[in-house]
Amino acid sequence: MGKLEALDICMEYLQARTGNRMLAIDRLNLVIENGSFVSLVGPSGCGKTTFLKIVDGLLAPTGGQLLLDGRSITEPGRERAVVFQDSSLFPWFTVVRNVAYGLECQGVKPADARERVQPFIKMVGLEGFENHYPYELSGGMQQRANLARALAVDPELLLMDEPFASLDAQTRELMQEELLGIWRQSQKTVLFITHAISEAVYLSDRVLVMGPRPGRVIEDLHIDIPRPRPLKVKRTPQFLDYEDRVWSLIEAQVKRDMAGGNGAGGQVLG
Amino acid sequence: MAVTRRAQPSLVNHRVAEKSELVRRYVRNERAILGVASFLGFFALWEVLGDLGWIPVIFFSTPSRIVAEASSEFQTVEFWNNVRISVVELLLGFFIGVILGILMGLLAGWYRRLNYVLDPWLNFMYALPRIALLPLVVLWLGLTVWSVVMAVFLGTFFTVVINTLTGVHTVDQRLLEVATSFRASRPRIFRTVVLPGTVPFILAGLRLAVGHALVGVFVGELFAATGAGLGYMILVAGQQFETDVLLFGVLVFTFMGLILIEGLRMLEQRFQQWRPQVAS
Amino acid sequence: MATPAALSPRGGLPAVRLDHGPVWRLWWQRNERLALGAFGLVLLMAMWELVVRLGLVRALFVSSPSGIVRAFAEALDRGTLWTDISISLAEFALGYVAAAILGIVIGIAAGWYRRLNYIASPWLAAWYATPHIALIPLIILWFGIGLQYKVFYVFLVSFFSVVINALAGVQSAEAKYLEVAKSFRASQATVFRTVVLPGSLPFILTGLRLAAGRAWVGVVVSELVGANQGLGFMINLAGTMLDTGRAMMGIVMLGIFGVALGEVLGRVEKRFDVWRPQRA
Repeated sequence: MGKLEALDICMEYLQARTGNRMLAIDRLNLVIENGSFVSLVGPSGCGKTTFLKIVDGLLAPTGGQLLLDGRSITEPGRERAVVFQDSSLFPWFTVVRNVAYGLECQGVKPADARERVQPFIKMVGLEGFENHYPYELSGGMQQRANLARALAVDPELLLMDEPFASLDAQTRELMQEELLGIWRQSQKTVLFITHAISEAVYLSDRVLVMGPRPGRVIEDLHIDIPRPRPLKVKRTPQFLDYEDRVWSLIEAQVKRDMAGGNGAGGQVLG
Repeated sequence: MAVTRRAQPSLVNHRVAEKSELVRRYVRNERAILGVASFLGFFALWEVLGDLGWIPVIFFSTPSRIVAEASSEFQTVEFWNNVRISVVELLLGFFIGVILGILMGLLAGWYRRLNYVLDPWLNFMYALPRIALLPLVVLWLGLTVWSVVMAVFLGTFFTVVINTLTGVHTVDQRLLEVATSFRASRPRIFRTVVLPGTVPFILAGLRLAVGHALVGVFVGELFAATGAGLGYMILVAGQQFETDVLLFGVLVFTFMGLILIEGLRMLEQRFQQWRPQVAS
Repeated sequence: MATPAALSPRGGLPAVRLDHGPVWRLWWQRNERLALGAFGLVLLMAMWELVVRLGLVRALFVSSPSGIVRAFAEALDRGTLWTDISISLAEFALGYVAAAILGIVIGIAAGWYRRLNYIASPWLAAWYATPHIALIPLIILWFGIGLQYKVFYVFLVSFFSVVINALAGVQSAEAKYLEVAKSFRASQATVFRTVVLPGSLPFILTGLRLAAGRAWVGVVVSELVGANQGLGFMINLAGTMLDTGRAMMGIVMLGIFGVALGEVLGRVEKRFDVWRPQRA
């Protein structure tokens, strides 16, 4: 239930105007065990978001295979849900209608859907805000609604695409802690994409470090910090050590990429 | 067919590349091809139906007849006379309307009390189809070219005033604060913050005003019955069932409007160099 | 038009607001806009009446407020006023409603189906460039003078406003929302219903508002050029008979309808904008 395997995933783009082929992802392999929290960290444009879209079925890879519990996946499916970066709540729906959206797409009647999502709204702490419009909520609250929307369809695999990137630093910290709490309650498998190294180390069981484009996993770091993890664990030497290791990996790669590859310009694929 | 193409704006999945060169060419230029094809198709159909007599030529004419008419008209003095008169009426009324309109708009926008006093009138005049004033205009100015100029002026003036006014009011609060914190004098604030910010609105107003100005010329010529001008020419052609002349006149009229709009666009480019180019 | 918070009566900088002081000053601050507006209106009317009474300007040319009221009473008496008003309104309603319905349907279809958009776009652009006014003689040629030609003209001038805006509305569907829908495996129909339609509603309403203004102008223009009934025609007739009072009255009514139309549609737009953060 929720074990993801990516085998030699390749993603190649053909630029319509120039006819150049661009390799966004080059033989990415990873395994995410059921129930674990795994982060994917990497420099800008390394293909993290592209990979996430492939896993969700929004994009078809040009090579390789994706298996969820041994089954090959090629399209969006009920077992996976995405928490998008920009909260992407529909501004014309209320919070409750937004959270119930996934269920509505599955054919659940609106009234039933509304009831079913109540526990999730409660889980993310938005009780009382059901009938508000997104513009009336703060950034952090919008992302919580976003999360509730993904949880409401009860997926096996939760895909999170830099969900806290647009939040201010303080809200971001608090949301990270809340996310862990929610994750413990719901026990999903999570693939978390982020730029922020400390965020990745704090949240995950394993941190997969990606190199610059074309994307591939260059290191698989097991984070050996016991749970539950309060925020202050971020100041411990062990934590900083992990952070350092990830950063030096990325730094070396990025510097090498900048120095050597001048043909890496063009479209940035995130 | 949904708009899912939006997910990948300029990159095409390489599967498409596997198809033949011709198909690829088509896909890349589909928009232009279908557009041109639909125009050509329409004109071809029109011509054929007209020549076969399946549609009454007297009501619709045909492209070829219109072109023939055009070439003969271009050679008459009368036609060029009409064009000259209409153009003069248009430009005169338009420019006076624009200049006075911008001035009034700036004043009414900047001085709040003035705005309050004028507000009901300006709103009323803007909501009123100014063209309805023509019978009175002719009463005042007589059956002369000046009535037509006035018609153009009325159409232009109020449009420009309202848009300019809105522009002055929509100045960015933050920029005002910056200027104030540097203790800029009021005239300086007006010159360096308000005025540049108003320019897009003025230009938008000008573009709208062109349409009203054209209406002014056309209807003005009918009313003032000066016996000359493009509008008059079109009207008479209609009454005499000379549809080719009529449609030719419409084309010329359209062309005039397009030139004005294009002129405005070039003006806009000059004044808007500081804006990041938003794809229109 | 929103009151600019930032500009003061003397121009430019923020005015200081007092929270204490004599009652009349507080009242004045709060209702300044209304007071000045009303003051301006009354002043102008009074001056107008005075100038005419004193014989400084001939009543024949400009009538007077009392003259207009008298004309109104007369017209009511005679009973023809209602006919003219209802004819004008009927022309408006028929043409506008038809344009609205067809325009929304076609606009949405052209926005949703890419190929249809490619075919229709050049025509929309061509239509936008043409001065519709110049086509009136042609339309009269087709329909003759009467209700149909006016309704058709009103339809023409409003239709494309609605289509263009509806199309833009559908195309404004943001990629990120479409992606959300796709990731939840929404069917095309659901995507249309929950993403495209709500997102395009503001655009559609704007289009309807703009079209209403155009339609109203269209009514007047078509009545002026060729008609035997309607408010525009009445104004024209009064003008030729030198009955300035009556003409002015007609103009005032036109203006009032125009303002009312704008108000109503503006309210409707606001109601449907509940989910938008309130931008000025």
